[in-house]
Amino acid sequence: MSVRLDGTVVHLEGPCRVEDAEPLLALLQADGKRVVDLSAAEHLHAAVLQVLLALQPALQGAVEDAFLRTWIIPTLQVNSAEDAGLPDG
Amino acid sequence: MDDLLQHFIIEAQELIQQATDDLLAMERDPQATKPLDSAFRAVHTLKGSVGLFDFAPMGIALHAAEDLLGALKGRRSGAASQVIDSLLACIGQTERWVAAIAQTGQLPRDAAEEGYRLARLLRAQFDNDPTHAPEATSPAELGWIEDLIRQSPDPAGLRAHPSPLVAIRYTPRADCFFAGDDPIALLRSVPDLVAVRLSGREPWTPAAEMDPFACNMRIEALSGAELDQVKTTFRFVPDQVIIQAITLAPGSQIAMAEDAAVPGGGTATSTRTLRVDAARIDRLADLVGEMVIAKNALAHLAKQIGDGLDRKHAAQNLLASHAAIERLVADLHGAVMDVRMMPMRDIFRRFPRAVRDIAGRLGKAIDFSVEGDEVEADKAVVEGLFDPLLHILRNAVGHGAEPEQSRLEAGKPAKTRIVLRARREGDRVVVEVEDDGRGIEPAAIRRAARDRGIAQAVEVERLSDAEAVDLIFAPGFSTASEVTDLSGRGIGMDAVRSAVERLGGQASVRSRPGQGTTIRLSLPLTVVVTRIMTVQLGAELYGIPLESIVETAFVPASRVLLVREAEAIVWRGRTLPLVRLAALLGLPAFAEPSQRLKMVVMEAGDELVGVVVDGFAQRMDVLMRPKTGILAHMHGMMGTTLLGDGSVLVILDVPELIG
Repeated sequence: MSVRLDGTVVHLEGPCRVEDAEPLLALLQADGKRVVDLSAAEHLHAAVLQVLLALQPALQGAVEDAFLRTWIIPTLQVNSAEDAGLPDG
Repeated sequence: MDDLLQHFIIEAQELIQQATDDLLAMERDPQATKPLDSAFRAVHTLKGSVGLFDFAPMGIALHAAEDLLGALKGRRSGAASQVIDSLLACIGQTERWVAAIAQTGQLPRDAAEEGYRLARLLRAQFDNDPTHAPEATSPAELGWIEDLIRQSPDPAGLRAHPSPLVAIRYTPRADCFFAGDDPIALLRSVPDLVAVRLSGREPWTPAAEMDPFACNMRIEALSGAELDQVKTTFRFVPDQVIIQAITLAPGSQIAMAEDAAVPGGGTATSTRTLRVDAARIDRLADLVGEMVIAKNALAHLAKQIGDGLDRKHAAQNLLASHAAIERLVADLHGAVMDVRMMPMRDIFRRFPRAVRDIAGRLGKAIDFSVEGDEVEADKAVVEGLFDPLLHILRNAVGHGAEPEQSRLEAGKPAKTRIVLRARREGDRVVVEVEDDGRGIEPAAIRRAARDRGIAQAVEVERLSDAEAVDLIFAPGFSTASEVTDLSGRGIGMDAVRSAVERLGGQASVRSRPGQGTTIRLSLPLTVVVTRIMTVQLGAELYGIPLESIVETAFVPASRVLLVREAEAIVWRGRTLPLVRLAALLGLPAFAEPSQRLKMVVMEAGDELVGVVVDGFAQRMDVLMRPKTGILAHMHGMMGTTLLGDGSVLVILDVPELIG
C-alpha cells in the first residue's frame, strides 16, 4: 500500500508506482486542502509526480531518499513558489 | 504484385540480413574492414533497388546510412556502439518496411516521418564524430539550457563546472506509462546529475479534468558525466530526448547529438521464398532427362508388342522398364527432398541480433555464439524451430544469466556464455541452447509446481531431480517471479515443447544448479515423408503407417476365438484381440467369408492387436497431408495422400479407431 490517508494527510510510502497515481489524484481532488507526506517515499513514479506537479498540494515531512530530496522535491517547491508569485527561493 | 516488386522483396530481405550480420560483426571487431565493406555494399545495393520504386522515405534513410558507412570507411577507425545502434535501427526499420510492402504493396503511412527521423539520427552520428567539427546550434535552440542554469540553485557553480556538461531535454510521449516507462526512474539513473527542472509540456489542466495516465511532463537536466554515458541511459527513448554536450565558457561551440534508436522486435517470421542451390536443380533436370529416356523405352516396347513380341519377353521387358522407372522415381523423390533441405543458418543468423536486443533491454552481458549452422534439415523443421528457439534464448538471457557481479564472485567469466548449436545425429538433427548461467534449482521447481497446482505435493516429492526440472515444460508453468514482456508471459516452455512435438521432435532439459542449463531439441530431418502400407477393403485402398505394423500374416479362420462379444486369436503364444477393419470403419463386409484371414499385427498403445483386412497391397513412401478443412475433426484418420493415379488415399489412425 503506497497511498494512505490518515486524517487530512496523504502518506506516500515506499516505491510509488504508476497505479498509485489515480488513488492519489482522487484523494487530492476530493479535498484540495489535504497535505501530502513524503517522508517514507522511496521513489515517485512520473505519473505520481505529475499529480503533485499539477495539483500543487502542500508537502510535509523530510524525505529520506537522496535523489528525491536533492532533485525532485525542490522542483515541486520552485513551481509552487512561481505559481504563488513569490520570489525564487 | 508485379514481378519486379517481388524480386525486390526477396533481394531486400537478403541484403537486410547481410547488412545486419555485417554490423554485428563490426561491433564484435571494430577494426575489421571486411564487414564494413560488405555492409556498405549491401546498403548501397539496397538503396539502389529502393530507387526503382516509389519508396522515398526508405531511400532517404538508407542514403543517410550509406553516407555514414562511407564516412566510416574513409576513416578506418572503427565505429562506436551508438553508431552501430543507429545503423541497426535503420536496417531494422527497413526490414519492417519491406515486410509491410510484402503484405500491402506499399509503405505504412507514418513512413515519411520515420524516414526523416532515421536520416536525422544517422546524420547526427557524423556530427557527433570527433573528427568532424561540431556544428554550432542557433542560440534560440539553446535558450532552454540557459533557463535551466539560471533557475538552478547554484548557477555560478554550474558555469564554473570543471568538465563539460551534458544537457538533457526529455519529453516523454503522452502514452509512455502504458509502455511501462517511468521517466523519473530514468532520470534517477542519469549519472552525476547537477541540475533538474520539471515542467508540464502543456499547461496543467484543472484538477478535476486531469488524466493521471497521460504523461504531460518535460524533464530538463544537466549532468557532469560523459556524453556517451548519458546517451546510454536514454537509449530506449531516442525519439523523446535531446541530448547536447555543452561547454559554458564564452565562445564555446556546442556539439549536438541525439541518441540512437534501438531496433524493436523485427523478429517475426514472414513467408519466405525458397532459394535453392543451382546444383540441386541441375540434378533434378538430369533425372527428368532420364525419365524421358525411360518413357521412350516404354513406347519402343509397345511397338515391339504390337509387332508380335511373345508374352514372356514382353513381360520381361516391361519389368525391366518398371525397375528403371522405380529407381528414377526414388531418385527424384530424394532430389525433391534435397531441394527442401535448408541450412540452420537461415534462421540462426537472425538470433545474434535478437539476443543482443534482449540482453540490452534486460541489461545482461551475454557472450552468444552459434555452432553447426551449416547443418541441414527440411524447410518445415528449420522454419518451425524459429519461434521455439527464440523463446528458449529469451529464457536463457532473462532467467539463466546472472548479474555480472555474482558471476565474478562465483568464479565465472563476467559475460554469460550462451551457445546455440546444431548437429546431425543419425537421421535426426539435434539443436541445443546451452548457457553457463545460474541453472535450475530442482527445489525451486518443486515449490513452484506445488504452489501453482501443476502437481500434487506427494507426487512432486516422489520425482527425481531430473523429472522435477522437466516440469518447466508442464502447461502453465513459468518460474519468472515477475512477468516481463520478454519472458514468462505464461506461454512458457510448454509452448516450446508442443511446437517441437508438432514437428515430430522431443524437447528435454538438463541443468546443474550454479553451472548452467541446456535445452535440447531432437527433430527428424524431414517431416514430410511417411512410410505406409496400403491395405484393401473391398475395392478400396487405405493406408496404415508402417511404423506401427509389426507383421502381416495369413491365419486360418478356424483359429479365431470368441471371447464374449469380441474376437481374439492366439498368435505366437499371445492372445491378441482381433478387429475387422470394415467393422471399425462402419462399412459392410465386402469379401466373401474366407477360410484364410489376412491379418495385420500392429501396435495400438502398449498392446498388439490383429486387424483383419481383405488384402495387402504395397508399401510406399508418401507425402502425407495433414487433415485440414472439413477433414480436420475426422476421427481415426491421420491424413491423406495423393496416389499416382490422382486418387486420394486415406491414411488411418488405427489405434484411435479402436479407441
